[in-house]
Amino acid sequence: MDFLNGILVKPFADMAAAPDFLLQVLWEGLVGGVLYALIALGFVLIYKSSRIFNFAQGIMVVFAALTLVGLHERGVPALFALPLTLLVMLALAMAIERVVLRPLVNQPDIILFMATIGITMFLIGFGELIFGGENKVMITRELMIPTDSFIFEPFGGFVSIEQKDLTAVVGAVFLVIGLLVFLNKSKIGRAIRALGDDHQAALSVGISLSTIWVIVWFIAGVIALATGIVWGARAGVSFALEVIAFKALPVLMLGGLESVMGAIIGGLAIGILEKVFEIYWGQPLLGGNTEAWFAYVLALLVLLFRPQGLFGEKIIERV
Amino acid sequence: MKTLLKTVVLSSVLALGVGIAVPAAAQDDSIYIPNLAYRTGPFAATGTPLMNGQRDYITLLNERDGGLNGVKLQYDECETGYNTEKGVECYEKTKARAVVTQPWSTGITLQVLPKSNVDKIPILAPGYGFSPMSDGKVFQWAYNPPSSYWDGASMILKHISDGNLDSLNGKKIALLHLDHPYGKEPIPLLEALAEKHGFTLLPIPVGLTEMQNQSAQWLQIRRERPDFVIMWGWGAMNAGAVTEAVKTKYPMNQFLGIWWSGHDGDLKLVGDAGKGYRSISWSVPNSETPLMQDIKKHVVDAGKSQISQAEGEFDSVFYQRGLMISIILVEGIKAAQEHFDVRAPNPDQLRWGLENIKLDEARLKELGAEGMLVPFSTSCADHTGHGGGWMLEWDGAKFVKASDILMPDRADIEPLEMEKAKEYAAANAPWPINEECKM
Repeated sequence: MDFLNGILVKPFADMAAAPDFLLQVLWEGLVGGVLYALIALGFVLIYKSSRIFNFAQGIMVVFAALTLVGLHERGVPALFALPLTLLVMLALAMAIERVVLRPLVNQPDIILFMATIGITMFLIGFGELIFGGENKVMITRELMIPTDSFIFEPFGGFVSIEQKDLTAVVGAVFLVIGLLVFLNKSKIGRAIRALGDDHQAALSVGISLSTIWVIVWFIAGVIALATGIVWGARAGVSFALEVIAFKALPVLMLGGLESVMGAIIGGLAIGILEKVFEIYWGQPLLGGNTEAWFAYVLALLVLLFRPQGLFGEKIIERV
Repeated sequence: MKTLLKTVVLSSVLALGVGIAVPAAAQDDSIYIPNLAYRTGPFAATGTPLMNGQRDYITLLNERDGGLNGVKLQYDECETGYNTEKGVECYEKTKARAVVTQPWSTGITLQVLPKSNVDKIPILAPGYGFSPMSDGKVFQWAYNPPSSYWDGASMILKHISDGNLDSLNGKKIALLHLDHPYGKEPIPLLEALAEKHGFTLLPIPVGLTEMQNQSAQWLQIRRERPDFVIMWGWGAMNAGAVTEAVKTKYPMNQFLGIWWSGHDGDLKLVGDAGKGYRSISWSVPNSETPLMQDIKKHVVDAGKSQISQAEGEFDSVFYQRGLMISIILVEGIKAAQEHFDVRAPNPDQLRWGLENIKLDEARLKELGAEGMLVPFSTSCADHTGHGGGWMLEWDGAKFVKASDILMPDRADIEPLEMEKAKEYAAANAPWPINEECKM
């Protein structure tokens, strides 16, 4: 009886008893969800245009953030370090296309996937060699990101909203809107979508595979930089940032690998639901740390009914 | 044909002889010290300064003194990324030449521990590993000086209760820990003490992928309002926790950590906002000691160190603790050299050496490291030494010493250590016990 009460009654009673705390939980979930969505977007863009599952997305986040902080440490002012980092990410995209992807055109997907594991290993070693393994402080203030917090007192309690989290949410919204406009309205965006739909058909109408791959990997690099700044501002910049890529996997399972909208909605849904579950069910009943598996269970449940994810394309192959 | 056969046979015998003689000579000329290091991966930020410290002390001895008693020390790193499987691979790869194993993770230590009786190579895990390794009669090949995790937990509780653990009755203490064998290590002792002294223990695990986004854990802390939060964090988890503590406005003077949660790099992220955070530590950084001046002169200024001078690594707690870890190992090797009158002790001889370390105040002064390490000594029955620790406090820019040496409550810990050691031996039977040790 106590167990049923713990599952069905107490969590909702707790929510009603401390609505300010519930608001805080929802806000934290939303911030986490936005960050998950950002990471997932990097995967989706590359998969959409080239059918490559980019294992290197996590280390790209680390590499972009380390480059930004590393340039600043070497005396480059923050506002110059930012465009310089973007240039580095562009150079990286060109190098990956030229050295890794181009020789592997028409190879099976698994070969391309293995190649991205190779890129990961290279970037880990290269990043360590150039920047060292120490935890570095993100140049939050230098980038003019506010670091104070807003305190609200709803329902007689309090809700604290970090200004840098708010900036992250607003920044991510603008980034996503910009990306959607770019993909849907620009010529290059249409070319990326055309490649995603059918490689052969896109090539036959003169779309350059090499150029599109460079652009897509560069956009993934921009997203990696944005993700690195936001996550780095929370707990420093180190190789530990790489593990956050694992948080994107259930988002991709839930939202579908080809869908930008799926990454956004999947990220937000997982961010909010895993936080609410952890606080009201996981911690009191299961000893906590349910965030490590909750998203995967949720994604698996969705896959039972929609194997292509919520927004993924249904693939029908006829023999 | 006969001559040719003779030549071949003679050449083979000679080659075999040289083949045997060369490694023997090489072994006598150097002592191979592998380190299962992690300079990459999620824990690199805390691993790197420690490895730099270990490496630099060995470099100092080779550069300044020509080695140890005339024998060069050959320091070698095998990268594990703090990954248990890779750590075991590194152990297997290095064990043929190793005089010691430095596993550098509680997970790796637990994997390697059963192999130690078979391979007969000492495991040196200063300030980490399985706390009951202290029982030298059961764990003949494992050493965790100068203080174990359970010593650390006991010292923290003594400090926050002003020495009277009964005063914690009715209080709530949260243990914010990495969800990993290392993070779970203090739980058996803390549970036993909670029952004995009437406080509530609230373990709060942090998963690997949640290290940098601990909002759920700190929302729990906000809801539960514990009187103290004790952190058993590592790598990026420490930085994630202190930033969340600042965000949650949890009082820093009620937030304490074990020695691996007292890294300058983590606290620098919050600067002044982290003032008052404390960490128990069996080492204290002091860059003015003769040892540190020698390190600067012979290693750092000579361009033989890998430390990052721009980030003040030389003065940091972890870099200087890395030096202390190598001091402990070298004292063990030196004891073995002198006792067995050999240039390069073998693993079995080093086992004796590690059981006979005597690092008292006089010896630390002689090494130029006075006040940098808690004095301690080991024996065949006591593989930890239980030297205690100081409380360090973050002053906004660096860690400073905030207490005299605190000692663990051994009366509470020892019975549990013996019980768990026995349980371990029974679970891994047949497990050899050192019957020769009469202490």
